[in-house]
Amino acid sequence: MKKNIEKEQIVAPENTTLQPALATADGPQTVHFEETSELDVQKELKKQKTMHIVKNVFVYIFLTFCAILAFLPFYWMVISSLKTEEEYRLAVPTFFPHTFMWKNYSAIMNQSTSSNSPTFWRMLTNTLVVGLMSTTIGVIITILTAYAFARMKFAGKNILFAIMLATMMIPGELFTLSNYLTVSSLQMRNSYTVLILPFLVSVYYIYLLRNNFMQIPNSLYQAAKVDGLSDMGYLIKVMVPLTAPTLISITLLKFIGTWNSYIWPRLVNDKQWQMMTNWVTGSFVDRGGQLYNGKYGDSDPLNTLKMAAVCMVSLPLFILFIFCRKYIMRGVSKSGTKG
Amino acid sequence: MAKNKFRNKSAKEVEADLVLNEDQVATPTLSRGERFRRGVRSQSGWLFVAPALILMLIFTFYPIVAAFINAFKQDYNGITGYYDGWGFSNFVHVVKGDKNSGGADFVQCLVNTLVFTFVSVPVSTILALLISVALNSIKKVQKAYQTILFLPYLTNALAMGAVFATFFTVIGTKSNTDTVGIINLILGLRNNPIKWTDKVESPVWELFNGRLNIPWAKYIVLMVYEVWSGLPFKILILFSALQSINKQYYDAAKVDGASRWTTLWRITTPMVSPQITYLLVTGIMGGMKQYSAVVGIFGEQMGLNYDMGTMVGYIYKYIEGDKTGLAFAGSLILFVIIMVITFINNRITKKHTTYR
Repeated sequence: MKKNIEKEQIVAPENTTLQPALATADGPQTVHFEETSELDVQKELKKQKTMHIVKNVFVYIFLTFCAILAFLPFYWMVISSLKTEEEYRLAVPTFFPHTFMWKNYSAIMNQSTSSNSPTFWRMLTNTLVVGLMSTTIGVIITILTAYAFARMKFAGKNILFAIMLATMMIPGELFTLSNYLTVSSLQMRNSYTVLILPFLVSVYYIYLLRNNFMQIPNSLYQAAKVDGLSDMGYLIKVMVPLTAPTLISITLLKFIGTWNSYIWPRLVNDKQWQMMTNWVTGSFVDRGGQLYNGKYGDSDPLNTLKMAAVCMVSLPLFILFIFCRKYIMRGVSKSGTKG
Repeated sequence: MAKNKFRNKSAKEVEADLVLNEDQVATPTLSRGERFRRGVRSQSGWLFVAPALILMLIFTFYPIVAAFINAFKQDYNGITGYYDGWGFSNFVHVVKGDKNSGGADFVQCLVNTLVFTFVSVPVSTILALLISVALNSIKKVQKAYQTILFLPYLTNALAMGAVFATFFTVIGTKSNTDTVGIINLILGLRNNPIKWTDKVESPVWELFNGRLNIPWAKYIVLMVYEVWSGLPFKILILFSALQSINKQYYDAAKVDGASRWTTLWRITTPMVSPQITYLLVTGIMGGMKQYSAVVGIFGEQMGLNYDMGTMVGYIYKYIEGDKTGLAFAGSLILFVIIMVITFINNRITKKHTTYR
């Protein structure tokens, strides 16, 4: 009996009157429906409405829970970096620092992590130089190559493009191995060049930009030709401005990639020439007992200092995400559907 | 016509350009020199691809060839270039492992990689689907939730790995004054904490007389991180897929009296199945190559004697030193595994090609 009513009620949207339910009530369930009074039906409606609200509350609770879990590591990272080591090691952790230990930051920025490793500023310089150089040159190469594949005609174009795409399926470690041997035998270790060169070409971005270029109608090209623009002029004056959003996405993702690179710098360069991520993996101790008067020795890595370093590496990514959210998300979702 | 003045070029030149661009054969009335000039100019595309091509020849194509050659050099030492004839000994060494001499064990690394991948990828995909469905069903503050849930995408695996390690790490031994990590506290293990990330004291199951170790506590730490870091991308893809589903399907389901659960499994999931397949495939491919998260959490030794090693970790372990041949053999095995996954993927999703 009750079950039948429920079946009927699903037809009626929660906020309307009984009318629609009655209108559809000439199906097989009609017999049962007539046995119920209008009052019962209205009760059912109310019940469904509360059920709807309860379900919604559950959805919000679930989402809030997930959002907290997604955000918690970031929060923990920031507050840990501002605690004193004593507070960090309390048996019951505090969720807001009692005293703000800003010295953690000045300590990691001005001391080197171990006697033969460079300071934060050196690592930052390395990363910025390599990041800016490889992003700029990489984007120029990507534009040129994508343009050639999208607009120009030359013998062997399609075969070359297919071969280049096929290399995307090969795991990068296979390249890294031989490249490591190549740069070692060429005596190219410990330089910026070796950090920049191998990662200038990324086939996937070429592919992405080529698809973007191909969407620009051919008539534009002919119009530009009639106006006397060269291929190069057309590329710079028409195609680049038209695909600016994609180019911004590529630039950002390429820079982020350099910022996060870890394996290659560690392999090919000694500590002085490594980058931010390599710096973060070191262990941070209270060098010379400056922070805690020698309470924590040189063999006792301090988590607060480590978290401060982690913050320094993650913060630029965060800022970039806040200001360029649109472009990053677009680039990511594009790479999701791959064109 | 001939008197028309274009900005830079004569009418004849423009006409020639247009002709060339439609890829027509130059008219036979042209002189030999002119034909040659145009032939060369029509190949100017090579000039544009030259920088990329040269770099790829050195850093992409040569390494592929080199990898296939070097993997078969016995006892190959990459730095000195020494090798002892040709053969399959590298592959034999890889499979046999040399754990006793302080090296990494490929079988252990392979099992680790497979377990990490085939647990964390499905878990995070299902979670992402649930979150996306929930996100799709609300109207208020949807954007805010979406942004927060997307935050973990832009992170550095080594940095965030270190943060996750602090959740689990036990420092010191005095239970009343030293921290046992948030996770142990939540689990009520303050007096008898599990040493999740400890190099030596982390609990281990030994299988096959110690041939294979399952450091399950370390596994859990890594997989929690993997799920957390894998979610944002999956949510992004699934959420945008959900938003493009025609609302009529849901109205029809409502009319038929379908419950929320039935709607989820009979309408939503099939409608986003191409995206789910795509996420599973890319997730598995990415999982096969994971490395930096392990280093971020467990350090460069990847646990105790590489018991948390992955296939990529194995390759990087042997890249330096005198056993380069093992690294090459390992990378070829990884290559084959990835090719097999790609092949299976193409067979399953012929309609929805994701990789080309």
